[in-house]
Amino acid sequence: MKKPGCLALLATLFLFPAAAQAAPEKETQLIEKGRYLAAASDCAACHTHDSRHPYAGGNPFLLPIGTLYAPNITPDRKAGIGDYTEADFSNALRRGIGKGGKPLYPAMPFPSYARMSDADIHALWAYFHNDVAPDPASVPANKIPWPLSMRWPMTLWRIAFAPTPAEARKSAERHFPSQETARGAYLVEGPGHCGACHTPRAITFQEKALSSDGNDLYLSGGAAVDGWTPVNLRQDNRTGLGRWREEDIVAFLETGRNLHGSAFGGMTDAIVHGTQHLTDQDLRAIAHYLKTSLPARKGEAPWTYDPAVAKALQQGTLPDKGARLYVDRCAACHRTDGHGYAPAFPPLAGNPVVMNPDPGSLILIVLRGSTLPPTEQAPSPFTMPGFASLMSDRDVAEVVTFIRRSWGNNARVVTQDDVRTFRKHNGQWIDDKPPSPMNRASSPRENAP
Amino acid sequence: MTASSSSRRRFVRNAAGTTALALIPYQGRPAHAGTSEAAVPFEPVFFTPAELEFLSAACERIFPQDDLGPGAVALGVPFFIDRQMDTPYGKGELWYLSGPFHEGPPQLGYQLPFAPRDLYRKGIAAADAYARQRRGRKFSGLSANDQIDLLTAFEGGGVQFPELNARMFFEQLRRNTLEGVFADPVYGGNRAMQGWTLLGFPGARADFMDWVDQNGAPYPFGPVSLARQPL
Amino acid sequence: MSRKRTDVVIIGAGWAGSILAKEMREAGRSVIMLERGPERRTAVEGSYPGSIDELRGAIRHRLFQNPAKTTVTIRNTMNQTALPYRQLAAFLPGEGVGGAGLHWSGVHFRAAPDDLRLRSHVIERYGKKFIPEDMNLQDYDVTYDELEPFFDKAEKVFGTSGEAYKIDGKIVGNGNVFAPSRSDAFPLPPMQDVHTAALFRKAAAEAGYHPYSMPAANASKPYLNSYGLQMGPCNFCGYCSGYDCFMYSKASPNINILPALRSDPGFTLISNAHVLRVNLDAERSRATGVTYLDQKADREMTIEAELVIIAAFQFHNVHLMLLSGIGKPYDPVSNTGVVGRNFVYQTLTTSHAWMGRNDYTNQFVGAGGAGVAIDDFNSDNFDHGPLGFIGGSPVWVNQAGIKPIAAAMSGGGKSSPRWGKGFKEALVDTYRHSFAIDAHGSNMAYRDVYLDLDPTWKDSYGQPLLRMTFTWKDNDIRMNQYVVGKIEPIMKALGARHYELGRLEYGEPFDTRRYQTTHLGGGAVMGADPRTSALNRYLQSWDVSNVFVIGSNAFPQGMGYNPTGTVAALAYWAAHHIRTRYLMHPGPLVHRA
Repeated sequence: MKKPGCLALLATLFLFPAAAQAAPEKETQLIEKGRYLAAASDCAACHTHDSRHPYAGGNPFLLPIGTLYAPNITPDRKAGIGDYTEADFSNALRRGIGKGGKPLYPAMPFPSYARMSDADIHALWAYFHNDVAPDPASVPANKIPWPLSMRWPMTLWRIAFAPTPAEARKSAERHFPSQETARGAYLVEGPGHCGACHTPRAITFQEKALSSDGNDLYLSGGAAVDGWTPVNLRQDNRTGLGRWREEDIVAFLETGRNLHGSAFGGMTDAIVHGTQHLTDQDLRAIAHYLKTSLPARKGEAPWTYDPAVAKALQQGTLPDKGARLYVDRCAACHRTDGHGYAPAFPPLAGNPVVMNPDPGSLILIVLRGSTLPPTEQAPSPFTMPGFASLMSDRDVAEVVTFIRRSWGNNARVVTQDDVRTFRKHNGQWIDDKPPSPMNRASSPRENAP
Repeated sequence: MTASSSSRRRFVRNAAGTTALALIPYQGRPAHAGTSEAAVPFEPVFFTPAELEFLSAACERIFPQDDLGPGAVALGVPFFIDRQMDTPYGKGELWYLSGPFHEGPPQLGYQLPFAPRDLYRKGIAAADAYARQRRGRKFSGLSANDQIDLLTAFEGGGVQFPELNARMFFEQLRRNTLEGVFADPVYGGNRAMQGWTLLGFPGARADFMDWVDQNGAPYPFGPVSLARQPL
Repeated sequence: MSRKRTDVVIIGAGWAGSILAKEMREAGRSVIMLERGPERRTAVEGSYPGSIDELRGAIRHRLFQNPAKTTVTIRNTMNQTALPYRQLAAFLPGEGVGGAGLHWSGVHFRAAPDDLRLRSHVIERYGKKFIPEDMNLQDYDVTYDELEPFFDKAEKVFGTSGEAYKIDGKIVGNGNVFAPSRSDAFPLPPMQDVHTAALFRKAAAEAGYHPYSMPAANASKPYLNSYGLQMGPCNFCGYCSGYDCFMYSKASPNINILPALRSDPGFTLISNAHVLRVNLDAERSRATGVTYLDQKADREMTIEAELVIIAAFQFHNVHLMLLSGIGKPYDPVSNTGVVGRNFVYQTLTTSHAWMGRNDYTNQFVGAGGAGVAIDDFNSDNFDHGPLGFIGGSPVWVNQAGIKPIAAAMSGGGKSSPRWGKGFKEALVDTYRHSFAIDAHGSNMAYRDVYLDLDPTWKDSYGQPLLRMTFTWKDNDIRMNQYVVGKIEPIMKALGARHYELGRLEYGEPFDTRRYQTTHLGGGAVMGADPRTSALNRYLQSWDVSNVFVIGSNAFPQGMGYNPTGTVAALAYWAAHHIRTRYLMHPGPLVHRA
């Protein structure tokens, strides 16, 4: 270091001792707030593909039009967003406009992020700009063939379907019965962007509602993502969260498991990177909002347990082929009574995922298996193995139908054709290896200290 | 590096290439095909046709067809043993086979330099030679009673083959035969799980929560294999 | 050669190593744990249905050590030539992350107070002359009361199911009347009785004995352990012993400890790392670290560490001490030295009862740790004075789930054919209608039963094999025969159609071809006297004070109970003293007198 610089530094320290201490503290607080919001916004689910390279992007999105790769959002000037100003950053988050005016694909949930406050955007900026390490890893080019690769239609899409930040703020600041509800709504509708998966989309891809005051399709269950069908989060008794208590929702978001069910598919990432890091207060606010602001849509007859099938199995009789497969392959963990051993092994009796009109998630879990997300508070990564190699399409149809129609569950029959069609369209998500954050090539410490 | 480290390196490399004992359902005839008690013809990967004749005859004597059910041949045991010869086990990679080799008292265990596949190759040749010498025919050409006499003699330890005591060979054969009768059908034996049905063993269901104590009643469900089963 | 540095290096990723790793991380020390075998994760290799395959599992030894790489040589007496243990049979050490703690059964006992101070106790009750001349009877130099908090801690990590008899001196339940008082109940209620255990419970009570539910590290309910780790409930699938539990219900380091460490940046687990030696300084009084072979890269690597924890399987610990020059090797002729001394085992004999032909014993139903036992003839719960032997055996029905290949290998009863005509019938009858009662007994230490390095055979790394000199001695045969005799009234009360008593016979040497138990012990024992023990009461080497050696190698004699519960308690005990004393002031925790 050259002397003049040294002197200047000393001068700064001596002349402005209070500022020199206070500023970093404030800055630290701001960065911590940003870090928290980045978790609440689940940025990592898309932008961290490899845990050794946080926020360096690369996660592929296999869409019907081609493959998109989540960009590097570290402050690397070349590979990332190092050359963004705070205004550029805010535009990208809330308006879906990248630096230089390039419209972003709506895989980026900017219609939800548009609801975020200026203060929160500022904190996120401080975190991404000053704390996240620049990573020069470059992301593969999107593989979308022309003319679909043209970006200008995105602009039209945005104008047609995305709220402006002003409109979004207005909705976010609407009247709520309590501050807790307001906070829950902000987290769910804004940074949490739960609707991106859990709200159905129109044919033109926009979510059919962006908030609980929109219409009753909001969070009523979305279209399949990577083969998994996001469930209805409204108060419907059988297919929604009608029978979950607020503390059940909190436990689920904290640990990926509760007495009613276990997380799978994309929710695993949302919990690992996102919700497990939220304060208890925020999780309770989310739970309270979900329980009080999203009434049931359909008048579903309340689910009640029916012991008939369990009794038959426990007496050594197998009513049908589905029952036999269930006893052979499933009952060890999920029990003949369908209650499972929650929270270790989830119940199937009364489980909204099981009764979802769309059996996709259930079929995929049977074929592929699933792993509970290891979280700070619940580090055990329990895994269900996949049965793709053990069960034919017909077997899967039989066992899934058995599960959907036993113990008081009353969902529709699944046919061999349903399974065949599902397999045809979802081949890429069916893999015998238990999928899990544990099994990614992301444990460098294991053999390379 | 010293000689010992280079042999060590070779060992490590070999082990890395072969000890992954993958669970591969066999690609030939499906293990659950029918319940016919006839032998299923197959193309051996290790045994010669003559060796296979010996093997089939000998394991059928060890586990014969009778009123209780099929014997070793109908259960696919020769096929099972043939395929086992092509595993790390068959190649002796699960045994310590470094010299020097000394005979010792029986309670100190196996002391031969041979892997299972060597035991079969040498044992079958010697057993057939012994049969010819004592009874005028190769083993598989003898009557069942003669075959039983010879196996009894082998088991008794009084017969010395050129490179091993016949008892070592007999014990290997008995062990692998019983494995073939009772291992999961994915390995080629225990055809249609008839070995398990004989015992009342439920196989890979692995859940007895409803049946922890049946107070002496039999368990109600039939067996289930590791592999896909037809409905 | 590549070098790395850490605060603590731990050899072996089984129970002892994993406990020490967790404790050292809680103390803020960086930890590298080395495991010679492969990585093993229940969710991957241990998942249904691949894990419940008898051929691949217990028969082809998926989770056991491969003797082709390294084994031992064995002889019965000093005048014999020891020969290699070429095929695993009598004992089955584990290999890979979790060690034998992944394929164990789950029987989870606390050592009996008398067993921990057996020499003092025998002298107090029967006099010094009661001890045979060549028997090296010794105390552990740690008492039950000192270990109690650590037994309790281990049970809460393992999720142990059982029923207490006494808590804080008050009788609280129907547990083992011979068991010492506890500070707390078992974390889970006892496992259910399978049919045969229920039969035994009733018959043993009728015979005047005191049956109790065995303490099992098989979870009788879903359980969240003291590290926040989840266990599933045991469903009696019978795949415990020799298998990794796909239900996450048998305690293992893989389920009960390692998930709490895997995401900790201060903890590094290196698998496929075979430790060749602990490196010592020039004076051989301080370890500088370890050298291991990275078996994937075939490269020797050295780790420098402040503290070396040797926590592999019992005889590997002794082997590594001998290879590294830690402590003086034992010489039975001059009766000097300590490393290799007091090598002990257990006496396990099995008796069988055949019930009526309409009584199905369903022996495939089971749980490795569960069952019903009596302790009337264990430890010093009965008067040995007129009997002329030291030691004892619990007797139990511990139906761990009998699989068909194993059943076929042992066949029917003693008089039934091993093959051919009549074999099937006897096998079917035995499999469907019989059950086993074990006498699982102690084994004392003797001057001419020991471990040293073999002069002839080498492992695949070019190092000499460990040599075992072991056989059964009259004291232990007398004990076994006495206890087995006490099974007879149970057989009578059972109303068995037929029964056979299994027992050790005089003059019958230890047979390496038949499975006994994997409960080997001693060889580097703990004690108060550096002339007769390799380790002090904190399992610290007397000679190299920054080396601790954790495992059943510390047992001065083999006890009637299964060792894991005591190994775990000793691991927590040693860790406690490392954390609270050693780390502040490194050096000997006990000074030589």
